[in-house]
Amino acid sequence: MLSKSSIRNVLLACVVSVGLLTNVAPASSSVDQHDGWLRLAHLSPNTPAVDVYLYDFGNPKAEVVLHHVSYGTVSPFLPTRAGTYTVAMRAAGAPAKSAPVLSTAIHVVAGQAYTVAGMGPKDGLRLVVLPDDLSAPAGHSMVQVIQASMRQPKVTVRTQNHLFGRNLPFASATRFQSLSKGSYVVRARGQTESATRKVELRSGSIHTLVILDTTKKLKIVNLTDAVGSKVVPATAPATGFGGTAPVPGRPLLPWAFMIGAGLLLMAGGLVSLRRGRQMRPHEG
Amino acid sequence: MGKIAGRHAAPVSRPVRVSLIAVLAGSLVTMTGCAGVFVSNWDARPAYVALPVPHVPVPRGRIAAVPEADQDVSAPLPVYLIIPAIGVRTRLIRLGTTSAGAMAVPSTTAVAGWYAASPRPGAIGSSVIAGHVDSYRGPGIFFRLRLLHAGDRVFVVRANGTLAVFKITEVRRYRKSRFPFKRVFGPVPYAGLRLITCGGVFDYATRQYLSDVVVYATEAGSAGT
Repeated sequence: MLSKSSIRNVLLACVVSVGLLTNVAPASSSVDQHDGWLRLAHLSPNTPAVDVYLYDFGNPKAEVVLHHVSYGTVSPFLPTRAGTYTVAMRAAGAPAKSAPVLSTAIHVVAGQAYTVAGMGPKDGLRLVVLPDDLSAPAGHSMVQVIQASMRQPKVTVRTQNHLFGRNLPFASATRFQSLSKGSYVVRARGQTESATRKVELRSGSIHTLVILDTTKKLKIVNLTDAVGSKVVPATAPATGFGGTAPVPGRPLLPWAFMIGAGLLLMAGGLVSLRRGRQMRPHEG
Repeated sequence: MGKIAGRHAAPVSRPVRVSLIAVLAGSLVTMTGCAGVFVSNWDARPAYVALPVPHVPVPRGRIAAVPEADQDVSAPLPVYLIIPAIGVRTRLIRLGTTSAGAMAVPSTTAVAGWYAASPRPGAIGSSVIAGHVDSYRGPGIFFRLRLLHAGDRVFVVRANGTLAVFKITEVRRYRKSRFPFKRVFGPVPYAGLRLITCGGVFDYATRQYLSDVVVYATEAGSAGT
């Protein structure tokens, strides 16, 4: 019968289109996905240049070697898989197998960024792990200050109306502080030297200000740690009008009921007709 | 019918008439039902079958260096987007935000747009580029975005003629209700790029796709690695 085959066809079409619908899912590929970030810094004024080695914990082969890193150098963030690492410093040019001057272990958590900095005077050098803050409240920027001036062991760092820290001791870091977006003049003042720097803070950005000694005076370095969108939208973008989407058929159930009811009615009519015909001879 | 009536030479009895009417009405109802099934499905359409990918050559030009954290100079504006793997070559328009707090989308489906509140491509941070998957009639500029794979290259030509080169790290699809705003728009400590379009099931009631496709990429740098 026509209706049967058409229903079958329609059902088939439905199954096919459902299959197509579910097939649009892209295979999620996460090859080469780095989990966290690490940067290495030399912030000890009287320590000569060093080679910095990054080891996967327990693996004697270095993942990364930064050669001849001198005072005031901060590497870019290096993508690093989550896990435990060893950071070791050797005098610049020292053999890779020699005993390191300094080493520390660091645990990298997915989605987090860390600064590993050699800080302090040469004879009290230590490796400090500073976790970075990778989120900023709407309309704000997050800023931390690292005080790495040895000649000015106490430095007050402030803008016109925000105090980052008063008398910050040498080899210390402040926590991340939230400032509303805008441009600021940051002033660092020690006992005998000072420095100013214009700093542009866009909302959604993370900064580290490093106070350094230079041959003559203090210097403020503005590091852009991370940047996001100034405005995070409230809804996911709507980027399609459906012109290539499969069009599903409208529901078939009411029609199926109708066909069923019609067939029942027909069957009922036929049965009663036949019964009437069988009964008539008896009557006659 | 007339035959039956003629054989008995008497008017059709009432029960027989009722039965005949039932059979007739039943067949009518059944036929209507079958017609309904056809009408419900005659405009059903399977998913759009893609045409071959147009050939777009890998662009040549000076490749911009990977940005340094202590650079204050901002990257030049993005003007062109080229994705050879899926044949995309388009001008980039600037996208703002709507009054409702959503990200604006291109007014035409033939170009992609750079979200002007996001960092510029090649600067530190996650730059965002959006494009339509389709129009009312057919494919849009990002129709094949979901077909990209980790490792594919994305090129952004900038206003000074330099190229920012990105390598895709991940292709994901999210339901709109689970869109990862922080991962897509939040601060990141490297020069990254996110390409966004719609995907998944299209809801004909709201005339919107129910999911978004997001392609994550990081700057591949001057070494071409």
